[in-house]
Amino acid sequence: MAFLIRSVTQTADHREIVRDTRIDKEVLGIGRAAENEVSLPDLSVDPRHARIEARDGRRIAVIANGTLGFEVDGRSTRSTTIDSGRGAELAFGGHRITVGHEGADVVLTVRRVDAVSDAEEERDEARAFSLRGKLPGRRLTAWLLVAAVLLGFLAVPVWTFMKGPEKTIYEAQAQHSWSSGPLSAAHHQLEGNCESCHVQAFVSVRDSACASCHKDVHDHAPPERIGRARAKPTAWGSLLQAVAKTFGKPGPGACVDCHTEHEGAGRMAETKQAFCTDCHSTLSQRLADTKLPNAGDFGTAHPEFRPTYGQGRVAIGAQIASGLKFPHDLHLNTRGGVARMAQTLRGRYPFGDALDCKDCHRPDRDGVRFQPVEMESSCGMCHSLAYDNVGGTVRTLRHGDVAQAIADLRASTKHAPRPPALDGGRRRPGEYQQGRVYSAYFGPASQRGSDYAVRLLFSQNGACAECHTITPVGNSWTVAPVVQPGRYLMHGWFDHAAHATETCTSCHKAGTSGASSDLLLPGIETCRTCHGGENSRAKVPSSCAMCHSYHIADGAPWAPSRPVGRTTEDAAPNRGRERR
Amino acid sequence: MAGVFRDRDLDRRGRVREVTLHDGFLRHKSFRWLKISAALSLAVTLGYFMADVTPRPNGGSWYGYTLGTIAVLLILWLTLLGVRKRWMTRGRWSLKAWTSAHVYLGLSLIVIGTLHTGFQLGWNVHTLAWALMMLVIVSGIWGIIAYAALPKALSSNREELTQTQMLEGLRAIDRQLHEAAQPLAPSQAALVQKSLDQNVFAGGLWRRLSGRHRGCATARALRGIRRGDGLEKVQSLLERKSAMLARLRRHLQLKAMLEVWLYVHVPATFALIAALTAHITSVFFFW
Repeated sequence: MAFLIRSVTQTADHREIVRDTRIDKEVLGIGRAAENEVSLPDLSVDPRHARIEARDGRRIAVIANGTLGFEVDGRSTRSTTIDSGRGAELAFGGHRITVGHEGADVVLTVRRVDAVSDAEEERDEARAFSLRGKLPGRRLTAWLLVAAVLLGFLAVPVWTFMKGPEKTIYEAQAQHSWSSGPLSAAHHQLEGNCESCHVQAFVSVRDSACASCHKDVHDHAPPERIGRARAKPTAWGSLLQAVAKTFGKPGPGACVDCHTEHEGAGRMAETKQAFCTDCHSTLSQRLADTKLPNAGDFGTAHPEFRPTYGQGRVAIGAQIASGLKFPHDLHLNTRGGVARMAQTLRGRYPFGDALDCKDCHRPDRDGVRFQPVEMESSCGMCHSLAYDNVGGTVRTLRHGDVAQAIADLRASTKHAPRPPALDGGRRRPGEYQQGRVYSAYFGPASQRGSDYAVRLLFSQNGACAECHTITPVGNSWTVAPVVQPGRYLMHGWFDHAAHATETCTSCHKAGTSGASSDLLLPGIETCRTCHGGENSRAKVPSSCAMCHSYHIADGAPWAPSRPVGRTTEDAAPNRGRERR
Repeated sequence: MAGVFRDRDLDRRGRVREVTLHDGFLRHKSFRWLKISAALSLAVTLGYFMADVTPRPNGGSWYGYTLGTIAVLLILWLTLLGVRKRWMTRGRWSLKAWTSAHVYLGLSLIVIGTLHTGFQLGWNVHTLAWALMMLVIVSGIWGIIAYAALPKALSSNREELTQTQMLEGLRAIDRQLHEAAQPLAPSQAALVQKSLDQNVFAGGLWRRLSGRHRGCATARALRGIRRGDGLEKVQSLLERKSAMLARLRRHLQLKAMLEVWLYVHVPATFALIAALTAHITSVFFFW
């Protein structure tokens, strides 16, 4: 038996060259070294890797010399016996040796199956040198992204809208992705509830959606009059309106024209002055029968205030019939008897060196306006109506009830005179105060009989007439009613609390007013020292909505009471209305 | 040549100036599209400050809708470059003119698209569209920078070798290395074998872009073989292979940098068109 070594090599054009070598030996060496009978130029094969021994006519043994083994029909081993008649394939590194039998010879077919190096392997050069395979394909990525965006940002929100108000958190989130910005604080609870305003798909938000919650909002004027009052738009304005109409936008005059949403959290953006002045600055040109004077920018084109007094309007600086005799200048004088009395009574009342506005005028609960001045609590601190003293208990006339006063006085003078007679000396102001008997009137009167005392009380020099206008009627007297309006500007809003940084007299010229018939309301020029129009450089640029309410209500015009950036509670909706 | 003569031009001094066809798309017609885009950007910026919109500028005002319409038409036209590039033509609407307009009008979208938002950005589909637009533009800017800077580096690196030649060179060295390494001891032969087995194209995107090859078997073989002696041939072959690999890897790196922006630019463009579809539908849906 001999070995026939058949080495098969490939040319560059893939033709095979077969070369047979017959070796008549019992043992063959296999390895990288040239002295081996089966020499394999393969770096992964040891120089003397293994040997093949002939066992009998057909069988051979393959035994590894070192620690490195080989493969027989795909299985690793270090020695094996092969029946060459049945055949087998040996693998050493990148070479394969096929064992076969031909005649009396064992045939070992040797061929290299692996390329010498990786670079040798055939590959698509254009692909290898490019990024293909390194990144997901552009087309695949594009389609995946398109599908993801259309599903998440289009299909799901539309599906959610179709489904109605019941939605999962994910559907709500997907729908919320359509919101162009947060809603204002007033509408915050509608966030994620798109259907409440966007009632129908592809139909713009209608007034009916707003009115479904805002049921009591008052219209500004009859729609027909508003239509006539609105200034004719310019050519550009007409074009914009035409385009808006083509696209189905409501208006002009729709809720959303003034109240714009999705402009960010916090307060809703203030309505621009132009929304009012478009009609009101030239109103008389279109509404001939209007009683309203034209009004534009507050700083330059706003008419003087026309305060309401009694049943009608009066001019700023007019004389009014208040029904009271009250010289403000006397009471606010820092040097006269009033001031002296204030000093005397300082321990008992919160007076300063002289009387101050706050000593009589007390703000109402929200500070917007003032409570009416009451005789008992304010005037009565100094102007006592005490007329008798019974065992240390002072008796006081009831203010505001003529018949009761007459009855009280008559009853008291039936007794022996109790108040001390006038001693003729100068009386100190403190003795006129509340709780002391005001004997300047009642003392001597009580000595001379009840009728005299009553007549004296209501006489031109009597206690009542000091402040009131008294008219005798038969056997009695009437007192002219005192008018103390809480509010003069019925269509504009003025908040005293908002002006706390000012003093009273910086607007109301009370210190120089000698009669209560002076209307001490400041005119527009006083306001204009701080307030100007919306775009003015005044200290306080003020649009119409700062004082006026479009939806004609007698409360404050709609505006959150605090600016943006405070806590949610501060920015709570309609705080302005609560101030009413 | 016809193109050369047709593009003949007179400069200010009256000299005949030849605008060759090699004039890049950036400088096309003395930056014609740059000027047009700059004028467009300036006009929309002026309009932004002059337009009387209430309560503040946003995409839902008349000016916002105008800018949005311009932007979406521009985006669709810019996308058409992908179709247009498949037909090369010359003249007024040559592919070069088209590309030049694509680049500069695309840049002007930064202004138009951003002013359309009125700077009101948030976590919503509208801002998604804007962000994708910006991603497309920024990747495009990267592409322009790559096209302007890298070809020079690419050609100086390959020194007139083609890719096939580079690969052939590597194969030749490998074959010689294989031959020369036959007498080596098994441990050294294994080092050489690892170098031969290593795929020069292997590794992910990051390795391509960074050009870092820490596990280079050839470098390791060089270190191992140096310790042996009498193996000058294998050593010198390994050194040659190292140099060849360095060139090839730099080539791959530069090519990757030239290509990678398109893997962002193109898919992001399609995502942008999808986001625009959702954006516009949502606006009219909740009109």
